[in-house]
Amino acid sequence: MDALANLADGFATALTPVNLLFAVVGVLLGTMIGVLPGIGPAMAIALLLPVTYSLEATQAFIMFAGIYYGGMYGGSTTSILLNTPGESASVVTAIEGNQMAKRGRAAQALATAAIGSFIAGTIGTMLVVLLAPSIVGLAVQMGAPDYFAVMVLAFVAVTSVLGASRVRGFCSLLLGLVIGLVGIDQTTGQQRLTFGVPQLADGIDVVVVAVGLFALGEALWVAAHLRHTSAQVIPTGAARMGRADWRRSWGPWLRGTAIGFPFGAVPAGGAEIPTFLSYVLEKRLSKHPEEFGHGAIEGVAGPEATNNASAAGGLVPLLTLGLPVTATAAVLLAAFQQYGIQPGPLLLENEPELVWGLLASLLIGNAILLVLNLPLAPVWAKLLRIPRPYLYAGILFFASIGGYAANGSTVDLVLLLVFGVLGFVMRRYGLPVLPAIIGVILGPRAELQLRRALQISDGELSGLANTWFSISVYAVVALVVLLPVLLRVLQRRQRGAGPGDGTTSEAPERVLHSSSEGRL
Amino acid sequence: MTIVVGYVPKPEGEAALERAVDEARLRGEDLVVVNTSSGGSYADASWATDEQLAAVRERLTAAAVRHEVVHSIVGREPADHLVEVADTVRASLLVIGLRRRTSVGKFLLGSSASIILMNAPCPVLAVKAPGGEHWRSR
Amino acid sequence: MTSSRTADPASAPGRRQGLSELLVPVLLLGIGLAVLVDASGLEEGLGRSGPVGPKAIPYAIGAALVAAALWLAVDVLRGGRGEQESGEDVDLSHGSDWRTLGVLFGALLVNTLLIERVGWPVSGAVLFFGSAYALGSRRVVRDVVLSFALSIGSWYLFVLGLDIELPVGLLNGIL
Repeated sequence: MDALANLADGFATALTPVNLLFAVVGVLLGTMIGVLPGIGPAMAIALLLPVTYSLEATQAFIMFAGIYYGGMYGGSTTSILLNTPGESASVVTAIEGNQMAKRGRAAQALATAAIGSFIAGTIGTMLVVLLAPSIVGLAVQMGAPDYFAVMVLAFVAVTSVLGASRVRGFCSLLLGLVIGLVGIDQTTGQQRLTFGVPQLADGIDVVVVAVGLFALGEALWVAAHLRHTSAQVIPTGAARMGRADWRRSWGPWLRGTAIGFPFGAVPAGGAEIPTFLSYVLEKRLSKHPEEFGHGAIEGVAGPEATNNASAAGGLVPLLTLGLPVTATAAVLLAAFQQYGIQPGPLLLENEPELVWGLLASLLIGNAILLVLNLPLAPVWAKLLRIPRPYLYAGILFFASIGGYAANGSTVDLVLLLVFGVLGFVMRRYGLPVLPAIIGVILGPRAELQLRRALQISDGELSGLANTWFSISVYAVVALVVLLPVLLRVLQRRQRGAGPGDGTTSEAPERVLHSSSEGRL
Repeated sequence: MTIVVGYVPKPEGEAALERAVDEARLRGEDLVVVNTSSGGSYADASWATDEQLAAVRERLTAAAVRHEVVHSIVGREPADHLVEVADTVRASLLVIGLRRRTSVGKFLLGSSASIILMNAPCPVLAVKAPGGEHWRSR
Repeated sequence: MTSSRTADPASAPGRRQGLSELLVPVLLLGIGLAVLVDASGLEEGLGRSGPVGPKAIPYAIGAALVAAALWLAVDVLRGGRGEQESGEDVDLSHGSDWRTLGVLFGALLVNTLLIERVGWPVSGAVLFFGSAYALGSRRVVRDVVLSFALSIGSWYLFVLGLDIELPVGLLNGIL
């Protein structure tokens, strides 16, 4: 197996003492940040981007790998011990996990979450290792029209699948595209939207946008609506579990992995849906359905495994197509760009050391997490005693260092403030942040590929869809756009007679097909 | 007259409560048990759960002490709030628990006890947790 | 997770939010027009290669913004409301705390204006102290000590540990 040999090289990269140290630092930081309810992994990586300016790309990504999985694990600790999920994907874990903790089984809940996360993360990462090269093999022949099609898919998916309101998602995407326009036009050298400010000529640093929208905007939003409540942390010792718990956990772990991975790989709205599916499935399959709602261990084991497998799945489109499907993946993509690396089919060829090192460190980070977190859970819970004023003041503080350090100029601090306010306004009026950041990151690349494609076809629009790949991507795009509309039409037709539509029969079939394929 | 006690679900809090109950029975006075949190952090080890306070009530009822329990999130220092309560009920005595703390810890975290001692409208009785042994809260 | 939706649109606060909600389409319209105006000032011919010039995409995005602004305005007028983002530490039962926000914004602005004049060790401390104060911390001595510890510590971390330049300002020669 080629992939496994490459992975072995990756381990050789990741296992040097210095890199191992970065992995440990990443895991510790990630868990710490995941435990704190106000900070998610996307914000954490955004805040750490400036710290990594002077690091080598490999080391930075080894650290980010630790944060990626550590953040999720920290979230589950909080949700079990405090009944306020640190991470939206941990909501389901909180239901049974908190009940278990209240019944004095906190150690067992933490253990099944930690071991389940480890198993799902390991299987998921191995699937990425095995799948990525073959997807890249397919994608490596991609030309400009294909790239453009994939980006259109990304735009459409983040605006219409995620979030409650399509129009607001669309507005958010456009805002991001405008931010991406700022700077010198790549083909003619003219300045666009710089308004005569020389510092804008190079474009707006994506790090500044990410820190502004994710960190500053979020901190301002929370600060304006701060809760003033306290809870008791349920006391616990080191995480451990007995033989009966193992017997009841391994099934949910594996099923959770199988559900989470494919959901993570498609832009379907993060880990909330699959974790909920896993919960419902385990409740149905359990021999103790009466325990659900009162602390059933299956209800912790399944969703936690799902959560981590879905995070691993999200790496597939990110590494192979350069397509982020979650906020955390989007910030990781910004991190790649900071190093001048374009994720996509060529990534594996151009930067094999980086990618395989990253995958190996995901596996290592996972193991470190397990070793650290089984005994450390009580220590992490102490972090919840940090006074809120210090926590949010700290976020503003680190966001400001990052904004300044990006280019050593106060212009970036002003921009940071502007994006912070924009992030606040977006949260206030229900505009999702993810489409904006994806617009900023992918917008300029989409324009470049569009121009290239039309240059090749000499201006013929048909040149945008002249390969089987681009055609099938546009078919999926059409599906994503039309499916909700069609469903509405169908609903209306059930009430009265409506116009017939030839494409309806094809659409659901494709959905079934792609989902059954993904479940392998 | 009324005795006010600052209660926390920790050894020093239990010690203070125990002493306050004794004083209340001795003097034949009412007891106000105060447990507050500033609400400034997600988790506050000094904030008692409803179950813990139910146990406190049971204990006071068993000791035949007329009592009232104040359990609230106040958005400021619990020490200030405790002094206020003592003020409003015109307390005859304020009982607090002391914990061991290094001088650096006192400097960084401030001392609730000193705030109370300086501002209390009545005599203050400071009680230490039974020394040395590990004490688990119920 | 608790999330309280926006209030009943018939109630007074609901109607007030409805009006402020129109702020977003107005903002989008403004940005869209700015993009269109800026695009019209670009030269098409300059060193051009390929059929798509520098104007095409800005025109498309600007037009889409104007359209989206109208779409959103219609949505708002027909009763559509943006769902305020909920969160683990967010309490939507009361409105935005403008006083806190104002002080936070002020602290950020002060840092922006001062960082190159007095240096990060001082401006960062002001930023942290101001933010903590705005968020309700009243332990002044502890806050001051912590603010300077953080700003000086982070200065050392960045300048010595990470080789990233941060202005030293007033404390030049001391640090």
